[in-house]
Amino acid sequence: MKEKIERLLETTKKIELGGGEQRIEKHHKSGKLTARERINLLFDEGSFVEVDKFVEHRCTNFGMEKVEAASDGVVTGYGTVEGRLVFTYAQDFTVVGGSLGEMHAAKICKVQDMALKMGAPIVGFNDSGGARIQEGVDALSGYGKIFYRNTISSGVIPQISVIMGPSAGGAVYSPALTDFIFMVDKTSMMFITGPQVIKSVTGEEVTQEELGGANTHNKVSGVAHFMDNTEAECIERIKELLSLLPSNNLEDAPVYTMEDEINRIEEQLNEIVPVNPNKPYDMKEVIKLIADGGYFFEVQEKFAQNIITGYIRLNGKTIGVVANQPKVLAGCLDINASDKAGRFIRTCDAFNIPLLNLVDVPGFLPGATQEYGGIIRHGAKMLYAYSEATVPKVTLIVRKAYGGAYLAMCSKDLGADQVFAWPNAEIAVMGPDGAANIIFKKDIENSNDPIATRQEKIAEYRDTVANPYIAAQRGFVDDVIVPSITRPRLISAFDMLESKRENRPAKKHGNLPV
Amino acid sequence: MRKFMINVNGNSYEVEVEEVGVSGTSQRSVVSAPSTPAPTPSAPKAAPKEEKKEVVVSAGQEVVEAPMPGNIWKIDVKEGDTVKAGDILLILEAMKMENEILAPRDGVVASINTTQGAAVNTGDKLVVLD
Repeated sequence: MKEKIERLLETTKKIELGGGEQRIEKHHKSGKLTARERINLLFDEGSFVEVDKFVEHRCTNFGMEKVEAASDGVVTGYGTVEGRLVFTYAQDFTVVGGSLGEMHAAKICKVQDMALKMGAPIVGFNDSGGARIQEGVDALSGYGKIFYRNTISSGVIPQISVIMGPSAGGAVYSPALTDFIFMVDKTSMMFITGPQVIKSVTGEEVTQEELGGANTHNKVSGVAHFMDNTEAECIERIKELLSLLPSNNLEDAPVYTMEDEINRIEEQLNEIVPVNPNKPYDMKEVIKLIADGGYFFEVQEKFAQNIITGYIRLNGKTIGVVANQPKVLAGCLDINASDKAGRFIRTCDAFNIPLLNLVDVPGFLPGATQEYGGIIRHGAKMLYAYSEATVPKVTLIVRKAYGGAYLAMCSKDLGADQVFAWPNAEIAVMGPDGAANIIFKKDIENSNDPIATRQEKIAEYRDTVANPYIAAQRGFVDDVIVPSITRPRLISAFDMLESKRENRPAKKHGNLPV
Repeated sequence: MRKFMINVNGNSYEVEVEEVGVSGTSQRSVVSAPSTPAPTPSAPKAAPKEEKKEVVVSAGQEVVEAPMPGNIWKIDVKEGDTVKAGDILLILEAMKMENEILAPRDGVVASINTTQGAAVNTGDKLVVLD
């Protein structure tokens, strides 16, 4: 027996070394941690339990029978993060380049199934050269099985993808199907076709980093949600995100004891919005003044900055915030902003996270590029996502709320449970300048001094129409509030909405415009 | 101390220049606001319809483009100014908002390719930074 135990321990030790010390050293030199080091950083100390350590590949093509691959290039298992159950898989680049073959995929599928069954989040570390070519269609089938499970688990458990190396070709679609993508600057790479293929087909010369680096996907394409400088910082951020999410769609996000004052009156909020409606300001300041302890965890910080998405806590509970940013593109809604917000709203709704919408929107961004790009179907995603969401929805109109964009920011008619407005809010079908030109066209034309008359009429429109009271008279706004008392009012509203129940007609699924 | 005579738009300025050694305490360059009071921008229609000049950008330079269509309300920098990332380069009036166009990184203003009151379109090259 003693011998057998020793043999087991020896084999285990060998497997845990992955691709061997030399490869590990090379891996470290490129600024990357090994699969097991990443797992150890994520989980509470000593809590990780490995599954399928002894799995080996079954391929005998092209000399593969001689290739030893510890754990078949992926470490899988479960453990706890801040005491809560989380599943994981981490591709090991030191073992046959982390390439994905039949058994590698089978291991990932097994933990995916377990995570779904147990209703716990799954975090996948992607660091792989792609499909193991020698395994042919078996490898391809492996990807398909993972994609299928990603989709089936979507909206049931939070799925987090971490790109910590290359993720190319078909491999990118598993992360794309999950809820959040984390990338690390300079070492993460995602693309469908790499620079060489692009050069041979289109002649364009582009570096890997330009094509699919963390910067590109966080700023330009909007594929990724987070970007960090080091792997350790990235893993810390994953833990922070997990603390804001429930384990599955039947639970609520964990509630934290709050040090902040529930009834905190914030005089600064009375001053924060400039009197001149043409002046920009930073909406993030407003968010932080309202939130517990000024805490704001931003999602997709660098993409479509004209809309802000992220999580705060109010009275210790996670709240998803969607806010216009007047500082960028005047806070207009455009294609990217609609996609970003639409996705975020649905993520919140899937995981029972109430929504707070802060509105200061002049309208949709005009331009032929927007129209050709399909702003109609993209903008429709926001309308759809808000209408579809059954979580508590509270809207606060901070300043401008005009036209279709006012509706798209979760107006009463899209199902906002409570709508508040600050006294300087301008809620109308269009801005005073444009509206005056149309409504008072004749008066302006027939006037002796058309310019003066036009200014008069604009002022008249602003005074009589562009304010929160007309909407409040009709009940589209539940209350006009003094900005300084916003925090207590929002906490009280979300408290009241805690038991919200809303039934929808039975259907297979809706048809979100994509 | 060296003296220079500089002519700007027909006005002569006498300028004294002192060379500061490396040991100089601070070498911050001050981005001066335009000396004239901020004029009100002309109406869009009055904006001069210029032929679009090809903006030459060499390697290592960064172009600041118009993020959306609008009018140039105010230009806060001039060629040769040193700017820090986040400094306001100019104000673009669009969608009834005075949008601050910020420097994407530290640098020196190599050229300004627009004028006050000009109507610009998305993607127009406004400022080139060295």
